[in-house]
Amino acid sequence: MEFPGDLKYQATHEWVKIEGDIATVGISAHAQDQLGEIVFVELPSVGDSLEKGAVAANVESSKAVGEVVTPFTGEITAVNENLEDEPEVVNSSPYGDGWIFKVKISNASEADGLLDAAGYQATL
Amino acid sequence: MDYVPHDEETIRIMLEKIGVENLDDLYADIPNNLKIKTLNLPEGLPESDLLKNLTELSQKNHIYHTSFLGAGSYYHYIPSLVDSIISQSQFFTSYTPYQAEISQGMLQSIYEYQSAISRITEMDVTNASMYDCASALAEAATMAFFITKKRKVLLIEGIHPEYIETVQTYCWGRSIETEIIPLDELDNKITDEIAGVLIQSPNFFGDIEDVNQIANIVHSKSNKCLLIQAMSDPTCLGQLKPPGKSDVDIFVSEGVGMHPSFGGPNLGILSVKKKYMRKMPGRLIGLTKELYGEKEGYVLTLQAREQHIRREKALSNICSNQALIMIASLVYLISLGKTGLKDVAMQNFQKANHVKQALSQISGYKILNTKPTYNEFIVKCPNIDKLIKKCKDENILPPLRLSHYFPNRKDEILICVTEINSKEDIIKFIHIAQEAAQ
Amino acid sequence: MTRELLIFDKGYNAVKNNFTPEMDIDRVDFDNILPKFLQRNEEINLPDVPEFEIVRHYVNLAKKNYGVDSGIYPLGSCTMKYNPRINEITARLPGFLNIHPLQEENEGAIELIYNLGQQLCEICGMDAFTLNPAAGAQGELTGILIIKKFFEMKGIEKDKIIVPDSAHGTNPATSVMAGFSIIEIKSDENGELPLDQLEFAMKGGDVAGLMLTNPNTVGVFDRNIDKITEIVHKYGGLCYYDGANLNPIMGIVKPGEMGFDIIHLNLHKTFSTPHGGGGPGAGPVGVKKDLIKYLPCPQVIKIEKGLACVENEGSSIGRIRSFWGNFGVLVKAYTYILALGNNGIKRAAQNAVLNANYIRTQIQHKYPIPYNRINMHEFLVDAHLPNGVNSEDVAKGLLDRGIHAPTIYFPLIIHEAMLIEPTETENKRELDKFIKALLEIYEEAEKNPGHLKNGPYNTDIGRLDATLAARRPHLRD
Repeated sequence: MEFPGDLKYQATHEWVKIEGDIATVGISAHAQDQLGEIVFVELPSVGDSLEKGAVAANVESSKAVGEVVTPFTGEITAVNENLEDEPEVVNSSPYGDGWIFKVKISNASEADGLLDAAGYQATL
Repeated sequence: MDYVPHDEETIRIMLEKIGVENLDDLYADIPNNLKIKTLNLPEGLPESDLLKNLTELSQKNHIYHTSFLGAGSYYHYIPSLVDSIISQSQFFTSYTPYQAEISQGMLQSIYEYQSAISRITEMDVTNASMYDCASALAEAATMAFFITKKRKVLLIEGIHPEYIETVQTYCWGRSIETEIIPLDELDNKITDEIAGVLIQSPNFFGDIEDVNQIANIVHSKSNKCLLIQAMSDPTCLGQLKPPGKSDVDIFVSEGVGMHPSFGGPNLGILSVKKKYMRKMPGRLIGLTKELYGEKEGYVLTLQAREQHIRREKALSNICSNQALIMIASLVYLISLGKTGLKDVAMQNFQKANHVKQALSQISGYKILNTKPTYNEFIVKCPNIDKLIKKCKDENILPPLRLSHYFPNRKDEILICVTEINSKEDIIKFIHIAQEAAQ
Repeated sequence: MTRELLIFDKGYNAVKNNFTPEMDIDRVDFDNILPKFLQRNEEINLPDVPEFEIVRHYVNLAKKNYGVDSGIYPLGSCTMKYNPRINEITARLPGFLNIHPLQEENEGAIELIYNLGQQLCEICGMDAFTLNPAAGAQGELTGILIIKKFFEMKGIEKDKIIVPDSAHGTNPATSVMAGFSIIEIKSDENGELPLDQLEFAMKGGDVAGLMLTNPNTVGVFDRNIDKITEIVHKYGGLCYYDGANLNPIMGIVKPGEMGFDIIHLNLHKTFSTPHGGGGPGAGPVGVKKDLIKYLPCPQVIKIEKGLACVENEGSSIGRIRSFWGNFGVLVKAYTYILALGNNGIKRAAQNAVLNANYIRTQIQHKYPIPYNRINMHEFLVDAHLPNGVNSEDVAKGLLDRGIHAPTIYFPLIIHEAMLIEPTETENKRELDKFIKALLEIYEEAEKNPGHLKNGPYNTDIGRLDATLAARRPHLRD
């Protein structure tokens, strides 16, 4: 199972890619494997303002539901609408086409608590 | 009498295999001080005595020759094949169809129910039933809260009093505020803080509302607020504009095809716009195909919404529903067909209208509805006690005294006329009304 | 792709069934009754199908459905016992079937409701019952709302409910519907509730109550039950009994005497009323004396002159549905209790336990049983079979042998959970057939696991793609 080194992670199984003041969020390869075949992703709305730690999205398989928690306080700037039709992309490409949402970082220090790949793997 | 098939010898053999001496040994885990000696119940009865006992009890209830009572429970003619089909033992002795490969009969029937109701209501999606209309309306209010995250719903006056009380109970549980308002205040009351507006049409008093216009008000004042329509007797849909053509977000109703049975079992219909499909409570059946073949079949689906997966985050705790009654409702609708449904609705409209017109001609009676009505309407009576007594004397189940629900409305009745009321019944009832006015 | 015809594919436009009476009064112009803009404009999209074809269609569908009448139905936690036919007859007596819920001449119905409530009080050790709830889950909601009302009326703020991790999913879902949050306690290695953790949680002071199933969902009776209820009461909490598993203990021990304050039952489990493919059921709720005033309305009570119906007198939680609940189901349960009587009830319980333990001891050499001691009416198997064969595969293997599968993947605390509940109404021959099938499947798992994994083969349809159904929802025709 892959855990790309250029990404940050949360212990709640999200990966985070920080580019400038925008963070892209998805779920780790481990998380998608645990959930099984993803059947639906409930996306937030662009423009929603969320606090760090709030549930931004839900990822459903036919036997379980996983919550996707936002790593940053801020406004949702984009969601992966493609998942509405093809939720299975989260299984096939969790770190690529299976990204879930982008959030505008309002407080960069919130990145301090994020894990690196090795740190995340140690939690599994 | 009991239904245990073992004889003593078999029990002995089985106990031996288990490795204990007697049946009491199976209960070693139960603290002795808690075990009881005996139940204070009579000994069991043979089937012949059961039938006698229950028949006598049932005969303490009076069965009337005909009825002018509705108010949430309606007498319609039910084709004989309805009971014949729900008496198919592989339907009624099965559980929720978890094992799809040996439950295709139930699954396909429920899929047909979901389809038939969606077709008649013109709503996008229908679930596999709620307990009744009252609890379906309460769960619809909860849905509105889940969708909008707003904790207040408006109930328009005229909703069945028992539905209102049920909504209030459920909403109190979830800390959702409820406010009952007259229809003409709706315009001023809607804000973005309102999760949903609940309206019944035809309402408890019989009024048919212009639901489309109400939907326009709701949706133009708020882009969040949902319009939820309730209905007590969906046979009206044979002639009435369906909710799906009136921009209703959630539609709930009592089912059809069941005898009153003292108020239950019937079922709660719940239909929604497609965008709310994943926020629905209850079971849903979906079409799929074989994993290793090409045949299509049906399964329970979108289960991630439900309590067994979402647990404390589930929208509702509902699991058992009114499955067998879905089949009754489905078979009723199919038996009538589109032609029969139109005919039943037309007869209810015409016959109720006939009684309404006749009563309005009798001095002392006043029809209180100002809007169009289906098979029910309210009337102010010159002598309500006399009317009710005369009905009973003639073996007619009399209309509802409104004071049953509204203690101040002492001289008003809610009359229900359906296709089962023959011309003779109607003439007799009008005659009684005339006599009661003198 | 092939698919069975739907009812919508049948019929012809020409036929009309003559079920409804002829219109025997003069019609007026419909536009004068209902203005055009309120009328239905479009044709109703339903066929007109001749009667014989409707009957054939559904009788053929019924044939493709497995019921208790087809064979053993060992679905754990569901108590799929035989449904006596007399119940169907009594519920359809005209004096029950044709009476209106608002008619005044209802003495028989009211008497039945009262009598059944009294019988359930005796069986459960409670002081009053409401029969209004339509199903177990609605009974749970009723019970937890009673807890909410109890504390609200006393002005005490408590906002948590304790639920063990082995609980039915309805328990946490229900608690949240009543505004509580959940404290989940992990069951110990015996499948029982650890007393120290319970006491620790209760000490917080914000716990309104405990929801417990006993015997619990792993099939064992919690030996500390009297201590559990004592601890909850010591800290001012109430004890709620999930009666889904009452069947093995009726006539042996009463939940009320275990210390429970509130209980719900599933008449469609313990009291033999059929499940109807998922309903209608009934979920009566019983309470101890101090909680009677919170029961939902309407209620039947005994007064000097006989029985009376009472509405909300201020302290009730209110109404939880319309009228008197699933009355027809109540008639069936009442008939059953009269049939069994004192001895029959106890015999049913004992033999349910006998049958479950018989199966357990005959398969334990092959199937791992995590809580392997004398169980009650059901027992839990951890179906990790050789070569990666799991509980779903075992389930499908049973279907291939003409047997309904047990409950799988519940309770959640065991990964490959398989919960087996044969009930008391199966004879030894049926039990032996089931045991033989399970042992055969074990052997097949060792020798030919691939065959099991792709099954079933002998059913009307092969294993279905649940993922596809959820990804591309197709919920109507």
